[in-house]
Amino acid sequence: MKQIIHIFAKDSRHFWLEIVVSLAIMAAFTWAYPHHWTRNNLGARFYLSTSIDWGLSGSILTLLVPVSWWLLITRVILAESLVGDRQFWLTRPYEWRKLLGAKVLFLLVYLYLPLVIVKLVLLALAGFHPLSYMSGLLFSLLLLTAFLVMPLFAVATVTSNFSRMALIVVGVILCFVAILALSDVFLTSASISIPYSDRLSIPLTVCVCVAAITLQYAARRLWLSRLLLIGFPVLTLALGLVSPGEAMMEHHFPSIAAKQVAPIQFALLEDSIHQVMVSAARNEKEVAVSVPLQASGVADGYMLMPNHVKVSIEAANGTRWTSPWQEMYNARYLPGPQESSVNFEMKRSIFESVRGMPVILHLTFVFTQLRAGQPRRVPIPASDFPVAEFGICTPQLDWNGSQQIIGVACRSAMRQPRLTYVEALWSDDACGATATEPNNGVQGSGWTGNLDDDPAEFGISSVWTTGLELSNSLRDTGQKGRPQEPRYLCPGTPLTFTQYDPVRQIQSDNTIQDFHFPR
Amino acid sequence: MNKAIYTQGLTKRYGRAAALSDLNITVPEGAIYALVGANGAGKTTMIKLLMNIFRPTSGHARVLDIDSRELAGKHFNRIGYVSENQEMPEWMTVAALLDYCRPFYPKWDGTLEQQLVRQLDLPLKRKLKHLSRGMRMKAAFASTLAYRPSLIILDEPFSGLDPLVRDELIEGLLDRAPETTIFLSSHDLGDIESFASHVGFLEQGRLLFSEEMSVLSDRFREVTITLDYPLQLPEKIPATWLLPETSEFVIRFVDSNYQGDATARELAAMFPAARDISQTSMSLRAIFLAIAKSGRGQSQSADERTVA
Repeated sequence: MKQIIHIFAKDSRHFWLEIVVSLAIMAAFTWAYPHHWTRNNLGARFYLSTSIDWGLSGSILTLLVPVSWWLLITRVILAESLVGDRQFWLTRPYEWRKLLGAKVLFLLVYLYLPLVIVKLVLLALAGFHPLSYMSGLLFSLLLLTAFLVMPLFAVATVTSNFSRMALIVVGVILCFVAILALSDVFLTSASISIPYSDRLSIPLTVCVCVAAITLQYAARRLWLSRLLLIGFPVLTLALGLVSPGEAMMEHHFPSIAAKQVAPIQFALLEDSIHQVMVSAARNEKEVAVSVPLQASGVADGYMLMPNHVKVSIEAANGTRWTSPWQEMYNARYLPGPQESSVNFEMKRSIFESVRGMPVILHLTFVFTQLRAGQPRRVPIPASDFPVAEFGICTPQLDWNGSQQIIGVACRSAMRQPRLTYVEALWSDDACGATATEPNNGVQGSGWTGNLDDDPAEFGISSVWTTGLELSNSLRDTGQKGRPQEPRYLCPGTPLTFTQYDPVRQIQSDNTIQDFHFPR
Repeated sequence: MNKAIYTQGLTKRYGRAAALSDLNITVPEGAIYALVGANGAGKTTMIKLLMNIFRPTSGHARVLDIDSRELAGKHFNRIGYVSENQEMPEWMTVAALLDYCRPFYPKWDGTLEQQLVRQLDLPLKRKLKHLSRGMRMKAAFASTLAYRPSLIILDEPFSGLDPLVRDELIEGLLDRAPETTIFLSSHDLGDIESFASHVGFLEQGRLLFSEEMSVLSDRFREVTITLDYPLQLPEKIPATWLLPETSEFVIRFVDSNYQGDATARELAAMFPAARDISQTSMSLRAIFLAIAKSGRGQSQSADERTVA
């Protein structure tokens, strides 16, 4: 332990400037972040987006915090560089476990401890009791360790100097961007992750990084460590590309039994308003098709969220074509008839060969079925109000200084709230001082949150802010200069929060006979 | 005889290129062993193999009776290493360097440290990055000698130093010599001739010989044979004759295996008409030049190239 403290003390003296800068950035972040939820007069409709609300300085601080950590990690590891043959410490009585221990202690004291304090302070400032979120706090530290600290630590152990480390970090970012861009261009099929890959990614990443770090500290096996660190992401990427999507889709989303009633029915909507639309796709060899549908049959108390769709066509001229699985974004089906559309991309040559002629259109959807929880009705107060299992919400005032509420922004602890349906009643007229009900209520609703069931999400802050984007928030005025004006949420009107939890994943077929692609 | 360093078949290859081939060396305890050779001969590679900075491709080395591949941590309490190319913690002052090193060594001698600081005239408050090359080397020496290591390994310690600093370092080193073994590499023969007790010569990764200085000096002689009439060299000359040359009445060569009277009698028998046969001892520099120019070593087989 004496050697650990001795090396730690040396590093603390050597890197005092980096430590001070890192702490100052974290302090600035802690000071500035609560502006997310304390600024109350921004005009919710236009500024609820947290990235805008947060402002440029906030965005810079959010970027600077991990950059300062990167600097701190890299500098402290490279102080006793593990790459090269000229380092002073190689022939001194350093014990590798103690050297590694000293580096870990350094990060615990100057990175983790301040971060825990920042998270606790932000929770307290946001109105949450910090001790109630200890599991989330630990999980967020685990995520940070697995996906930021450990990879940086491991890369630093196989890097000879700071500039190379910087080049590697830039290279990794560029590779990531390139992969995203290429996958966007070349992958038309929706991918589905390997079972349990989310759960495995944390321990696997940690194990690979720990192995590389240990190999370097214990034996300085540079090329083996580098091979591990390069091989792991390459292998992961390759596995993602060759994963048996069809088989996994069947595994994850079993078809409903023949005797069972389909959880949803679709009918083609064809009238003067609803038309099948065809437009250019990202890839010029393909076209994007949008088919208007009427969805119905969702059981009361449930919601269906389509994840992917696969389209098959059989044309009278013998043409047959089946698409790969394609992702469906933001569609959610509630009980009752609901207008919707299914969007997919198909080969332009196929489209050209069948346009105008009758085809049989098979649509195979994979859904996540969710059950509604107990709705929570909260009369809108004038100031902050808690919503159980959701967070704390703040009415957003119109930015003209009229004290009228034009939206609601909420904050939640450690993670975004679970998937929640929010309903409200808008008033076309400004609310009177004593009004408790809008005169002519207009239904507004929207979805917020996600289905992730982890206790925390990856991030620096412990508080997540969400603007509730409710439908019908603007009314048409019919005036030329000012065609739309905000609607208002009057104090006392109920705001209803209904949380949805997944119950099963299913696959369902729908066939539309005599379908025509437009000429 | 206890061995401070022992290598057997020590080989280091980088791909197909051999940096060091089949090296067999024994350094007895208490010796001052100088490993000499031109730049690129493999001296630094050899030392880094001994220090477990590099791993051998084949063969093995033992340092203070520990396999060099296992050398780590507390083993370095007994080994001091100084290299001309070592990356020191440049941000530290000399005092901070000594303060930092001190707790690592249970046998750190504070009195000796003070003595070395005075003897080497070290500026305690100056940062290493602001010191001259000589001063930096002195600081490295002080931080190495102060814990009285059993074995001191020095890689080109005097390279590029002015004579005054070099003498100071040698003096400091020799003060420690009675209690330690010193193994140093150098490409400057003048540096080591005055104090090395043993010497090994590396050429292109191969050890040409390794033996005591006194034996080496006795073994190499410059022989001059003066004749009454012109005579060519015999067709078959012994392998131990290096750089043989003839002028009209003189034959001159370096005998790398001179055996005193026995060799004198052999030469007299070989050249019965010789008017005079004389031999002179050679400086280390002259010996190495002869070896280097002749491109061959002495007759001893590689397996036998150990220090007596």
